Amino acid sequence: MANSARRGQYSRPQGRHGGHAAYGRAATSAPNQLSSTLPSLDIDEISMQMGTPVITFDHVTKVYPAQPNRPALNNISLQIYAGEFLFLIGHSGSGKSTFIKLLTREITPTEGRIYVADEDLTTMRNWRVPYLRRNIGCVFQDFKLLPNKTVFENVAFALEVIGKSRHVIRTQAPEVLRLVGLQDKMNKMPDQLSGGEQQRVSIARAIVNRPPLLICDEPTGNLDPQTSRGIMDLLERINRTGTTVLVATHDRGMVDNMRRRVIALDRGQLTRDQDRGVYGSDV
Amino acid sequence: MSSLAYFFKESLQGFTRNLSTALGSIITIFLSLLIIGIFLVVGVMVENLVTNIENEVSITAYVADDADQAEIDRVMGTVRSMENVSNVSFTTKEQALEKFSNSISNAEIIEQLDGQNPLPASIDIELSDPQSVDSVAHQLESNATYQKICEDPSNPADSIKYGQATVERLFAVTNYVRYIGIALIVLLIFIALVFINNTIRLAILARRKEIAIMRLVGASNGFIRGPFLMEGALHAIIGSVLAVIVIQLLRVSAIPRLQESLQFLSFDIAGSTYVMIYAALVLAGLIMGLIGSAFAMRRYLKV
Repeated sequence: MANSARRGQYSRPQGRHGGHAAYGRAATSAPNQLSSTLPSLDIDEISMQMGTPVITFDHVTKVYPAQPNRPALNNISLQIYAGEFLFLIGHSGSGKSTFIKLLTREITPTEGRIYVADEDLTTMRNWRVPYLRRNIGCVFQDFKLLPNKTVFENVAFALEVIGKSRHVIRTQAPEVLRLVGLQDKMNKMPDQLSGGEQQRVSIARAIVNRPPLLICDEPTGNLDPQTSRGIMDLLERINRTGTTVLVATHDRGMVDNMRRRVIALDRGQLTRDQDRGVYGSDV
Repeated sequence: MSSLAYFFKESLQGFTRNLSTALGSIITIFLSLLIIGIFLVVGVMVENLVTNIENEVSITAYVADDADQAEIDRVMGTVRSMENVSNVSFTTKEQALEKFSNSISNAEIIEQLDGQNPLPASIDIELSDPQSVDSVAHQLESNATYQKICEDPSNPADSIKYGQATVERLFAVTNYVRYIGIALIVLLIFIALVFINNTIRLAILARRKEIAIMRLVGASNGFIRGPFLMEGALHAIIGSVLAVIVIQLLRVSAIPRLQESLQFLSFDIAGSTYVMIYAALVLAGLIMGLIGSAFAMRRYLKV
């Protein structure tokens, strides 16, 4: 399969703690592997971030008031480095969504600290939160597209509402739509697209602002295996531009195929943090 | 500046996208303000009417035929220096008779008087504050000089006429009318606020998906609020202008007809009062629209 061949070519052979420098080199030394239409990548900035984690969970516990005896996340500590591609796996109710909500600061932890790009989310002022979110692209299972806007407008919307000029919107939105392969469907409405295409639009929207971190919550949950593979290919290509990609998923085949870092959660506990991991039987 | 333009563009698009909710909030604001406006106009009319009636309240203090002119002047000077007295004048016996003969249609009565004049002279007191008629009358009653020159020195109160019971009842009624009017207008404004808040909340509810996505991609709260506030203000202005137009139409078409059929009442209000009512309506609409949207927005803006 073409997919597995490509995976072999690009997959990162090192463990996660030694792997960042090597990964940075891979990105710089293989420009031919990047699509010519990819957003331009500031290589210097990426290599500067090498070695320092972009995301740090420091003994994070989250207890919801509705369930005081059963923490949604219990004493989680981990680090995520720039340019990583990682899977977050676990059953429903294992704490995956809590993990993601903590990252986008929709909620704050009960205990512990979370740092994103050296900023402490637990002490972050509310008015700064929108600026945090501009640095995090989010993709969801249900796409969250606006049904009354065209594909182009949906992507442009993400730039409009953070106050980007019309000139920026007119150059960046078509560019990113070309990247996800939807340059011919810019003026279609979302309901005229297939599920996979809609998810591509939502990915385009998430990355149009070129965030250093892309979070995908079950991005292939609604899609058939063939389409899912296309989406994961796209996420891999985005990852190769230097974007850190975090994918929460149930998709066993996907995780086993791609052999990336796997973080497994089970009832709020971190049960496994493994480089080049598989879905496994423990979750 | 560009974001203001964006707010404006968005709020205009809000019309075409959510025509029914937009119409709903415009109509709500329009009807509330129309009712409030009509109430204000009627209130001003009633107030005018009441003031007219009240201003007709005056005190007539009768003076004995043989009273000394110097003493009369002294009493008039005292009354003039009293609080709430706007004008004091003297009516001689002859003037009183003339006034009387003018006011009756039957001239025979005058002829039957045979040149005699049974009417007393009087001091006429007009008041700047009609509600103080009672206290002015009592002050005059206890004035020593007046007690000497009044018609019936044994009972000076009897010589002072101001229709005590009638005046008291009148003031009770007019005050009630005022309080009820103010209470009704406050109530109407409150009802309008609740309605507007609800309609805007529905409009926002219809677009909560959009708000969620705006928050997701990192739009600041001010940016999310902007188009909704603009839309609320726009709806409010349209609704209030419609209300003003309808009230103006009523003023031009209905009030002259009403005046024709009810000639004993005055429906005349100064043009400047209308302008003030219109300005108040538009301003109130704008404030209600903005406050209503801001309140309705709050729960969707929690981080």
